[in-house]
Amino acid sequence: MLNSMNRKVSIVIFLFSIIYLIYSYQIEPSPFAKIDADIMPKGLGYLLLILSVFLFIENKEETEQEKAKRNISKQEIGLLLLIVLFVLLYITLLEFIGFIIVTILFLTATSRMLGYTSWIRMFIIFGIFTLVIYVSFNELLGLSLPSGILPF
Amino acid sequence: MEVLDNIINGFAVALSFKNMLFVFIGVLSGTVIGMLPGLGPISAIAIMIPLSYGMEPASALILMAGVYYGAIFGGSTSSILLNAPGVAGTVATSFDGYPLARQGKAGKALAIAAISSFGGGTISVFALMLVAPMMASFATQFGSTEYFALMFLGLSAISSLSEGSTIKALISAVLGLMIASVGRDLLTGTARFTFGSVNLLDGIDFLVIALGLFALAEVTNLVLSRNKKNNSKESEVGSLRVTKQEAKEISGPIARHSVLGFIIGVLPGAGATISSFLSYITEKRISKNPETFGKGNIKGLAAPEASNNAATSGAFVPLLTLGIPGSGTTAVLLGALLVAGVTPGPLLMQEEPNVFWGVIASMYFGNIFLLILNLPLIPLIAKILYIPKKLLISLVIVFCLIGVYGISFNTFDLYLLLGFGILGYVMRLLSFPAAPLILAFILGGMMETSFRQALTISKGDYLTFVQSPISAVLIALSVLSLLLPLLRSKMKKSQK
Repeated sequence: MLNSMNRKVSIVIFLFSIIYLIYSYQIEPSPFAKIDADIMPKGLGYLLLILSVFLFIENKEETEQEKAKRNISKQEIGLLLLIVLFVLLYITLLEFIGFIIVTILFLTATSRMLGYTSWIRMFIIFGIFTLVIYVSFNELLGLSLPSGILPF
Repeated sequence: MEVLDNIINGFAVALSFKNMLFVFIGVLSGTVIGMLPGLGPISAIAIMIPLSYGMEPASALILMAGVYYGAIFGGSTSSILLNAPGVAGTVATSFDGYPLARQGKAGKALAIAAISSFGGGTISVFALMLVAPMMASFATQFGSTEYFALMFLGLSAISSLSEGSTIKALISAVLGLMIASVGRDLLTGTARFTFGSVNLLDGIDFLVIALGLFALAEVTNLVLSRNKKNNSKESEVGSLRVTKQEAKEISGPIARHSVLGFIIGVLPGAGATISSFLSYITEKRISKNPETFGKGNIKGLAAPEASNNAATSGAFVPLLTLGIPGSGTTAVLLGALLVAGVTPGPLLMQEEPNVFWGVIASMYFGNIFLLILNLPLIPLIAKILYIPKKLLISLVIVFCLIGVYGISFNTFDLYLLLGFGILGYVMRLLSFPAAPLILAFILGGMMETSFRQALTISKGDYLTFVQSPISAVLIALSVLSLLLPLLRSKMKKSQK
């Protein structure tokens, strides 16, 4: 019964809509509004519930092209997950260590991992890129990016 | 002759040195980003938004509009040279453009594409000048009931017209509306789906969604294709010359498909992609020798190119006059305008004529810049295609992160951004279209407000949405558009 991808997805969406509905019934009523804040969420929750049932019943065969999209080697998936990890590190460290250092580290680490080899080019391109962004945010746009441990 | 005065004023706004510079920056960066296979116009606009922080509204809008039609223009270059369309609106361009390039006539193909795009862009901006004021004055009759019905039509149209399953597209749209419901309710102030977090009280910023769902998710395309060598050589562009005979041949298709593209661009849900395919098919059908299409017919190249650029201008009609985007791309454009402090709608033309007409006038110059950029400089610009993707990937990621950080200065939003990036990627893997989601998200707040206002006025009577004639027609059209795919598949089955 759960042989097709679309059916599996429809179950996930079905469960999600139930959770969404539970939360939308907990929205506090306002004493003043006749048409209250919960009307749209409740409607949307039921709508999604119905759509997930439709998706389940429809049970459309995926085209080869659609299936091919998921044909990714384990190595590549590992690479994507590593990039996600790097982004997570970037976000976590941004405000502590500061924009310039974290950005240059992130750019170099990611590009190395993807297979770019020239250290000199990376150093020049990423250095200029990071400084241009930092200066233009701070001076031109007046938005100060975190300087972190650097004194400027 | 107030309109004429305003148009002249608009040209004055567009012609200022600063704004000319922004038009140029906009179309140049649009062309460059649009050229990169994998990054579409939505990503192009979203990535450029941080640049517009703190700009005057007119300049910001001029810049962003330039990025938009520049991206469509640039997409055709990679369609022709690499057979790898940078944007969906230029897929039809590769049908005859790539064969031409393989025959060693890449230069000619690029020139024809540039001329046709210029023709389509210029003719349609003229149409935009004529149609927009009429639309705006018609839209002043709209109340909340009509607005709700109009947005409803936009969402159902984009769902039924999107590729693949309509049910999946509708699910995407509903998810977009659900994400829009996070945060403090606009009318009562009640907190919804915030899970006690202060960070969610103001809702989720649209840039988080646009950059995550599109730019970050599309970066994975670059990652997975990073080792692919481009299969054409830089030196093979060849002569750009277009003969008089050829110019004559393509003038008919350019004129026809500029008009067709514009009309389709105005319609909700449709846009550059649909119009370019439709134009290609029409041109093939009326051709005396349809068998040459797909083998390097210059008419087959001119038609979709004129059409997709005309559709981009057409899409500005509902965006500027109703304040309601008809596609994912214009939805992001609307978000960019709101960041810049412009609220498009029927009153924009009266209240801020210099913004309204300045942008439209700037499009003429944008198209001229694009022609200049694309004709003599194209071999040079095409080099961007040969920048190592391994370098580009990390730069795009940082641009996304900093773009979001620049509006909120809160790392919470960055985690959200990453989350939406993953969601966008998973949606692509499972063939859920992302454009309905972003359109629904942008429309969500407005839609809910007008829905509840309409119901409050009618004292809770849902029939109000079919009692106003305009809204009744719009609702009927929405239902029709949702039934269309159902009918189509029924017909296919009965044919078998």
